[in-house]
Amino acid sequence: MEGLAGAVLGETLTHMRDNEDRRAAERRLVQAAQNGDLLAFERLYRENERKVFALCLRLSSDAALAEELTQEVFVRAWRKLASFRGESAFSSWLYPLTVNVALSERRARRRRDARIFATDDPASLERAPGVPRPEAGFDLQKAMASLPPGARAVFVLHDVEGRTHEEIAAMLDLAPGTSKAQLFRARRLLREALGS
Amino acid sequence: MTCQELDERLDGWVDGELDARAAAEVEAHLAACALCQERERRLRQLLAHAASLPRSLTPPRDLWPGIARRVERERSWSWAGGLQPWALAAAATVVVGLVAVLWTGRAPSAVRTVEIPAATPEARLAALPSVSDPVVAAAERDYEAAANALLEALQQRQAEIRPETLVAVRANLEVIDRALAEVREALVKNPSNPELNRMLVATHRKKVDVLRRVVRLSTAL
Repeated sequence: MEGLAGAVLGETLTHMRDNEDRRAAERRLVQAAQNGDLLAFERLYRENERKVFALCLRLSSDAALAEELTQEVFVRAWRKLASFRGESAFSSWLYPLTVNVALSERRARRRRDARIFATDDPASLERAPGVPRPEAGFDLQKAMASLPPGARAVFVLHDVEGRTHEEIAAMLDLAPGTSKAQLFRARRLLREALGS
Repeated sequence: MTCQELDERLDGWVDGELDARAAAEVEAHLAACALCQERERRLRQLLAHAASLPRSLTPPRDLWPGIARRVERERSWSWAGGLQPWALAAAATVVVGLVAVLWTGRAPSAVRTVEIPAATPEARLAALPSVSDPVVAAAERDYEAAANALLEALQQRQAEIRPETLVAVRANLEVIDRALAEVREALVKNPSNPELNRMLVATHRKKVDVLRRVVRLSTAL
């Protein structure tokens, strides 16, 4: 028993040390980037591009637009880098920025060209191996794309990304009750779209 | 509890947000209603599927080159070249601001007596560190001469121009001159930077443009 507890504790400590090492390495990269080191900023980009792209894709439901949004997020991150004090992980700092860019850019573009669903099949990007669809015909990504933008944003942030209503409310400048109402609306629309 | 009432509480139920009494009512209804059990099952399935979507996806192409290009461009335009972004932004808005002031007559300050700055003595430009590109240096001399001529023309009309307009003109010329000084300073440090060379010429052009507009509009008012 002691051996097992020791192994678990050892693993936990290793994990903590790994995290600390990672955070320390990230802090060094951020500092270098803040001093104008573009290679360091590229490393930060490489560490975070997949999460940012996935979030942009879910919020925009448009693969081509998600690429542009991802680029915009990192250009803005570069501009705002001086304001990052390292109190949180770089990815945590990047998260609300990504949400803000994705939603505001999408609003602006919708006004310009009323673009709704420009990609052939954004779902093809995310059929990760080992994640089976629950049932035939259950195309969640497509159903999400048909949601009104506000309801989709809350659904993505709450049910896909696991954020709380308080966090969502702060990011989207809403009351938590409004976030909840939008979530229930999104779920109801999705249930209807998916035939349940 | 009816099926309709259960449907309205289903989200709260699966999120664990109902109080004990409401939760007991939902539980009792679910135990007796196959249709609502199926609804609950479907909702939980939807949520499980949403939660299983990957939170990391590789973009279909490398997006970094596009980001690097934009960052490099911004760098060469701003702080890496020793230039303050505020000066660029301020210079860029000068024309719009000036025209607005001229046409609306709104005063940016209560100062009633103000003078158009005097034409820059030619000796001033000669005394500054030289710009290495001969084409840029020649353009700079030409623009400075044009700006001086326009300043003199404006001074002759000074009595006919509203004091508020003069305040705005003076303030905006100061902004442009500060931007010019910063670009020039950055260019002395990085003489081969093509963006800075272009900025210097563009800022001179802006100054002349502004003066030309002010002279034209002041005669029209």
